[in-house]
Amino acid sequence: MTTSLSSILFKGIAARSFTAPLTRSCYHGMRYFATVSNDPDTHDDFKPANKLENSNISLADVIEQDVKDNPVMIYMKGVPDFPQCGFSSLAVRVLQQYDVPLSARNILEDPELKNAVKAFSNWPTFPQVFIKGEFIGGSDIVLNMHQTGDLKEKLKDITSKQ
Amino acid sequence: MSSRGASALLSRASRIRSKLQTALEATVLEVDDVSYQHAGHAAVKGSSDKETHFNVKIVSPKFEGQSLVKRHRLVYDLLAEELQSGLHALSIVAKTLHETNPNK
Repeated sequence: MTTSLSSILFKGIAARSFTAPLTRSCYHGMRYFATVSNDPDTHDDFKPANKLENSNISLADVIEQDVKDNPVMIYMKGVPDFPQCGFSSLAVRVLQQYDVPLSARNILEDPELKNAVKAFSNWPTFPQVFIKGEFIGGSDIVLNMHQTGDLKEKLKDITSKQ
Repeated sequence: MSSRGASALLSRASRIRSKLQTALEATVLEVDDVSYQHAGHAAVKGSSDKETHFNVKIVSPKFEGQSLVKRHRLVYDLLAEELQSGLHALSIVAKTLHETNPNK
C-alpha cells in the first residue's frame, strides 16, 4: 500500500474520553467484515466484490439490502472487535449493551463503499447506524438515545425475537 | 493554501463559528477545537491541516420541532465545505432554548 493511499484510507480519528476512557492504541490493516451474531456467515453475502467498485448504483443496492436484512447495521471505521476511531468505538459499545445482533461494515476497507453510504444517508461522517432499515445517526445521537431510553424502546422488538 | 483565498486568513474555528451564527442565530454557540486530543493518532498524522476535530454546542430557535437527525444534518450541511477541506470529526449538541430551561 502506498503512503498516499494509506493516508487517504486511514483518515480516522483517535480515541477520546466520553463516559469511559477509550483505548489509545490504533489497529491498522484490519480488513474483514465482522458480525457478533451467532451466524457469522450470514452477512458475507453483503460484502461488496471488487467488481462493484466502480458502480455506485450497485453499491447503493448493497447498502439498501444491508440495512433491510440486518436489524442493527453500523458502517464504521474498523470492525466491532477492533474499532479504529473513538466515535465508532463509542457507538459499538453503546449498542453492545443491548442484547441484539450487531452487523457491521468497515468503510476503511473500501473508499467507494464509504462514498456510497454517505450518499445513501445524506450524512457526511462515520459511524452511521441503521436500525430496522431506519437511519438513526452517528455516535452523538446513539449515545443521546441510549441516555433518554429511546434506544431501548427502538431495540425492544429485536431483543424479544432472539 | 492560496486556492482557499480570503478564507485562508481565518482559522477553521472562526469560519465554523461565523457560518453557524449567521445561519442559526444561536443564543448559545460554543466551538471547541479538540484536535490536540487526536494529534498523535497515526490516522491523522498525514494531514497538514491541524484543525481536524471540533465539539460544537448550539442553542437555537431553528431547532424547534426538529428531530436530532435533522438538527445534526442541518449543522453538517452548513459546514459541508469544512468537512471537505480537512475537518475530520464534529461532535454536536443541538438544543432549543426551551430544552436548556425545561421548567419555563
